[in-house]
Amino acid sequence: MKKLIVALCVLLLIGSFAFAQGAGETTKAKALRVGMVTDAGTIDDKSFNQGTWEGIKRAGAEFGLDVKYLKPAGTTEADYLKEMGNLYDAGYKFIVCPGYKFETAVYEAQDKWPDAKFVILDGEPHTADYATYRIEKNVVALYWAEQESGFLAGVAASLQMKEAEFGFVGGMEIPAVQKFNWGWQQGIKYANENYGTKIVLKQENDLYQGSFDNVAAGQQLAASMYDKGVKVIFAAAGGVGVGVINEAKSRASAGQDVWVVGVDVDQYAEGLLPSGKSIILTSAMKYLDRASYDMIIDEMNGTFPGGQILRLNATNNGIGIPVDNPNLSADVQAEVAKIYEKIKSGEIKVADTQIAGLYK
Amino acid sequence: MWHIITMVFPYAIAYTIPMLVTALGGLYSERSGVTNLGLEGLMLVGYFASAITIKFTESVSYAAALPLGLLAAVIAGALFSLLHAFASINLKADQVISGTAINMLASALTVYLARTIAGSGNVRIMMGIVRKNIPVLSKIPVLGPLFFSQSYWSTWVCLLIWALSWILLYKTSFGLRLRACGEHPSAVASAGISVHAMRYFGVIMSGALAGLGGGVILITYSGEFNGSVAGLGFLSIAALIFGQWKPLGILGATFFFGIATTIANVSQVIPQLGVVPPVLFKVFPYVVTLLALVAFSKKSAAPKASGEPF
Repeated sequence: MKKLIVALCVLLLIGSFAFAQGAGETTKAKALRVGMVTDAGTIDDKSFNQGTWEGIKRAGAEFGLDVKYLKPAGTTEADYLKEMGNLYDAGYKFIVCPGYKFETAVYEAQDKWPDAKFVILDGEPHTADYATYRIEKNVVALYWAEQESGFLAGVAASLQMKEAEFGFVGGMEIPAVQKFNWGWQQGIKYANENYGTKIVLKQENDLYQGSFDNVAAGQQLAASMYDKGVKVIFAAAGGVGVGVINEAKSRASAGQDVWVVGVDVDQYAEGLLPSGKSIILTSAMKYLDRASYDMIIDEMNGTFPGGQILRLNATNNGIGIPVDNPNLSADVQAEVAKIYEKIKSGEIKVADTQIAGLYK
Repeated sequence: MWHIITMVFPYAIAYTIPMLVTALGGLYSERSGVTNLGLEGLMLVGYFASAITIKFTESVSYAAALPLGLLAAVIAGALFSLLHAFASINLKADQVISGTAINMLASALTVYLARTIAGSGNVRIMMGIVRKNIPVLSKIPVLGPLFFSQSYWSTWVCLLIWALSWILLYKTSFGLRLRACGEHPSAVASAGISVHAMRYFGVIMSGALAGLGGGVILITYSGEFNGSVAGLGFLSIAALIFGQWKPLGILGATFFFGIATTIANVSQVIPQLGVVPPVLFKVFPYVVTLLALVAFSKKSAAPKASGEPF
């Protein structure tokens, strides 16, 4: 009996404590709580999830925000919605969703939780059958101009190598990857036509592996391409790219002249050899961290661009190659900077579709 | 055609070897009478252990880091397999469930440990093995370009282990006892030999070799621990069955898988193979395995007591 009373007292105590906490939170509810649901892969995927999360963490540290990410059990709409709901219930009403796979989930969520804000990267909300596209005032959709990033990397690599054979290994054949590829091809073409470089990209060396996680296939594809005389491979392929980089490292330390162009983030450090050199020629970057960071700032300033589809490109410094490229000569970097300005001013237009003369 | 074969072969071997040692591990375990479905998890443990070891030692001595990493993979795999051994030998638990538990535990635990120790779920090492052409041997016509060019030293270590295992299992009395434990354990017990000890040996060997398989993946073609061995452990089990629980059989089965998968992977870059849709290459090994299992199921040579507690 005595035990029961003690247990009841403890329960009561915990209960009142919890309620007190809850009451306290509603009074200081102004502090923004930022949540994120991860896409396929882990939070440290050196790509989408990680880049987005780094921007959120940076904003969180600078402004003392409460930040949290949840990893869904799968990659279906239901999995995503469940974790978005969990974040919402826990008071995280600013939710960042990295990746096109969230499109249908955000479509549902924008009506389900009208007082929450959503940011979707690389996509825009629509129904599963692509029949209806609708974006509410509480959602911002962000797209990157991957083709401009791929273009810059293509020009930079061409100018640096002058005369060589290039290749491209993509992950899945989805718009974000295709646009990198099309930009890459246009960049090579531009350099050949305007700078007299002799870069060859054969159709057979321009392919999509079909997944983002088959490391072995990445290594084998890269090995076959290098065997055939390809010098530079642009790998826009997540885990498949890990295999490509590994193969290039193995060959470079055996004395071969092979290179990789990185993707999404500056991958220079991943290509480092024991000698201190890196096989990453340059990287075609999307500034993922900047995007999530800027959105949070906008929200805090009350200028959240809800209902809009934003395109991040050269004009708003949303893409580019890294500031430091130890493997590019100073001349090449200066030329690429000029071309960046030309894209900015609209003098050079990079097509984001498969225009005539481009491979898939 | 010959050119394509010589080009693809070294990479196919590199892809095959982790599967071969893992299947060999499975052979030890099943021959001793313990079904081991945890090979995937044990590989993952070895994969992780070698990555973390190499990461922390490569700055001291790059040359010593790789063998040390493989050693760590073997030890970690062996230790982890003790869980399966204890559950299935001492506790007489259902071995299928215990093996599945190993897989689930390993995939969660390794990523958790990688995050806490290395700060990231992806552990990258600076350099794997640099492939070399073996002097003299690589000049032999036909065989040279196939087997002795562009090869990793780990390949030869694993093949040596395979050969020694064959001798141990088929040419020594110890091997006979081990195999008898998988066929008729009470006969072994009546001869005064501890079935438990033999089975412990079998399971620990499976853990050690699967761990080695994981380590080999890291230092040959992947270069980064990423929390998954992409189903190679399960493929090894399939190869073990396809190879009829025999060393030569699994050698053939794993090479078959390895070559078929490699051709599927690289078919896109080779114009001559590009005419066949890659999906056909990709399903080919699995379809053949299914057909073979149907064809051989009548005279399947599975160890009779495999999976039965003693």
